[in-house]
Amino acid sequence: MQGIVPDHAGPREGVADVTEAQIIEALLGFIDRGEATEAAFEEMALSVFAYQFANNQPYRRFAIQRSRTTLTVRHWRDIPAVPITAFKDLTLSCTAPEQAQAVFMTSGTTQGGIRGKSHHPTLVVWDRSMLVNFRQRFMQGRERIAMGILFPDEAAMPNSSLAHYLALAKQECGTPDSEGFIGAEGLDLARLIAALERAQASGEPYALLGASYSFVHLLDALAAAGRRFALPEGSRILDTGGFKGQSREMGADAFYDALSTTLGVPRAACINMYGMTELSTQFYDDGNAVCPPVKSGPHWVRSRVVDPVTGRDLPEGATGVLVHHDLAHFNCVSAILTEDAGIMTEGGFKLLGRVDGADSKGCSLAVAEFLRAARG
Amino acid sequence: MIERAGHLPALAVGEVEWRELDFAAWGESVQVSVPVLGAAQARALAEHVRENARAYLKTLPVAQIVATIDKAIARLLDRDDPWRRKADAILPIVTGYDRETVRLGLSGYLRTFRAPQLQRFLAEDFAHPGILDAFQPAMKGGFTRAYGPELLLHIWAGNVPGLSLWSLISGLLVKAGTIGKVASGEPLLAGWFAQILAEIDPKLGECLAIVWWQGGDVESEGIWLAEADTIVAYGGNEALTAIRDRAPVTARFLPHGHKIGFGAISAAALDTRRAGPLARLVAHDVIRYEQQGCYSPQMLFVARGGRVSPREFAELVSQELARFAHTHPRRALSVAEASGVSAWRSTEEMRAFDAPGRVVLGDAGDPWSVVCVETAEALAPSALYRTLKVVAVDSLDDVVPLVAPFRPFLQSAAVAAPPRELFAIAERLGAAGVTRICAFGQMTAPEAGWHNDGRFNLLDLVTITEIESTAEHAADGFAGYVD
Repeated sequence: MQGIVPDHAGPREGVADVTEAQIIEALLGFIDRGEATEAAFEEMALSVFAYQFANNQPYRRFAIQRSRTTLTVRHWRDIPAVPITAFKDLTLSCTAPEQAQAVFMTSGTTQGGIRGKSHHPTLVVWDRSMLVNFRQRFMQGRERIAMGILFPDEAAMPNSSLAHYLALAKQECGTPDSEGFIGAEGLDLARLIAALERAQASGEPYALLGASYSFVHLLDALAAAGRRFALPEGSRILDTGGFKGQSREMGADAFYDALSTTLGVPRAACINMYGMTELSTQFYDDGNAVCPPVKSGPHWVRSRVVDPVTGRDLPEGATGVLVHHDLAHFNCVSAILTEDAGIMTEGGFKLLGRVDGADSKGCSLAVAEFLRAARG
Repeated sequence: MIERAGHLPALAVGEVEWRELDFAAWGESVQVSVPVLGAAQARALAEHVRENARAYLKTLPVAQIVATIDKAIARLLDRDDPWRRKADAILPIVTGYDRETVRLGLSGYLRTFRAPQLQRFLAEDFAHPGILDAFQPAMKGGFTRAYGPELLLHIWAGNVPGLSLWSLISGLLVKAGTIGKVASGEPLLAGWFAQILAEIDPKLGECLAIVWWQGGDVESEGIWLAEADTIVAYGGNEALTAIRDRAPVTARFLPHGHKIGFGAISAAALDTRRAGPLARLVAHDVIRYEQQGCYSPQMLFVARGGRVSPREFAELVSQELARFAHTHPRRALSVAEASGVSAWRSTEEMRAFDAPGRVVLGDAGDPWSVVCVETAEALAPSALYRTLKVVAVDSLDDVVPLVAPFRPFLQSAAVAAPPRELFAIAERLGAAGVTRICAFGQMTAPEAGWHNDGRFNLLDLVTITEIESTAEHAADGFAGYVD
């Protein structure tokens, strides 16, 4: 697939006429091609930008204000990145939001309860992006694995991208006896302990996947019950999302040490997934033997570390704010300025935590505290 | 460069554990050693300060304390004095504020503590300041005398240079044995001031200590809280709540939470001749301490109907901020701060797309941001670091409902309006919770005797002992000369 420029048009004229169906087809092809050179990524990125510039009116105005239009943008790095706070104020969608198949929302824990939204007219690209990447980075060649899910299911959380992610993982990559352990009553510890016991006895690898804070609850519950497990070789853990005030805070080393000793899964097999509601693709590390690990994404997403004020790239090794350019997030905007601090490094980037909520160094009231106060 | 913070009477440097805080700005760096006291050391120091204050400070006439503070301030105001030279050299590196801001800010601020201004502090709170020295006749009959705390604990916060001196000096004026906990953001000036006092009057130097502990170190904090009978604390409401919850119920707790300042400009102030200079004063208030002072403006309400429109005035302020960016460059921002500024600006830009009456001025890369909105918007913090929202209103009366819901966070408001309008709006702002109304250009320089957060700097610290007239009359009955 060499972009989606109609034969009769020169580059970037005419691409605005691209339909949703064409962009979806192009993206599915792009995801399936296995790899992409800088030039191929750039070409696809410019096509997606042209589509979004033509169809997403708030983004178009944002881009024009930044003097970045389809006429001036020549490189994917010049495509203007939208700060994720914008998802709370604006509907960033190329199609009518009421026709969306799914609307994923942020948990609203950080911004005074206001939830950012991402509209998906179809989940076909999202699902393909998730699965191709998940198989490569988490399944690592296995067709299926017995899974325990530490997160509510899609019925309980219909607007959670993580609930959808885990449902997809279980359905497409889990064995039939895979199950979820978080219900309306919270963690079903007895059932989970039984599953862990079965897994330990079976000798077959087992996978636990869920929110980082659910693992903290699990660790605390197992410690209280005095239980430890040695899951069979090949077992793995996937945690995501941090603690978000839903559990006690744990340092990364303490967290993975505890997982390793309590469940018998080596830190190298504890994979952290970094995803966002405002994206359609996830990032993974190759285990947490050493923290912070290097994170990376597949060939349809590229990341930059920028100075948040100027938006300019920072040199490798400098701490800045992460910008992700996720082509799979075609219906909203592909270029997102996050609130996550990071450093570019060989093979990807290191994630250094959130940068929002900087309090004033003086005695003036800062936005972060104001929001906390407003939240009560 | 290494600089030692604190002032620890009766403790030798070698007896104390020190921790290094590293600061870097403007291409220079400095390492500040802050003391980390053990529990026994802290308790002994508290006792030492309390005893010395009892034996010496409390016996001094308040006039003599004023004279000693005046001498110390004179040294800090003298640009050739080694202490002042040190302050001018090091505080910009520690706080990140540019040299001129520190120099001008410090000189302006220190002037509020010279002898005549200290008299003003005293006069503001006491009809007769002699009440701090001896019993004075009371209007209702009998006599009254004011006593300062035995041990007054200040917990300072923030990096605004010298912020600590306000409460530190207030405490000394009421003869309090004083423990000051410096903030990690500006750990030096309070200690220097204490050392200057000790140079001038060594016995006075035994009556106060300047200490440090890591913010959130509950154990260290608990020791000091248990020793103090009066606690003055600065910080965010979460930090203040934590301190209040651990302070003994018998201690007096005087919190100063974070605040949002704002400005209000009448149409009468917006003619073509006055608007330019006024915009410069607004910009001055914005750049001074990067809006990190509790008194700094974060929002500006501008009335329509003048010769210069709110939108044009916003442009003028933006131009002045551009000018200040050269003469007083913004300090380097951390990733978190820069991210906050960028998120604030981008959010405003995004909102501007859906609302024609909203304009974001300048470029995203500029080291300042001015947003102008034509529809009424409630008071909210800006992203600091020279970010300002200008809200157009039909008249100053419209400002009150926009700020009133935020009473706990109100303090300073600058008003530019003719006298009748000034008093009318002041009446309503005061009722809404604003405690200080000043001119533009003066927001970050409260005048001597200012009632911080609307409270009494000195009166809140003292307890009054009364000799009721009955005791006085009864005493006559026991006198040798009675018939």
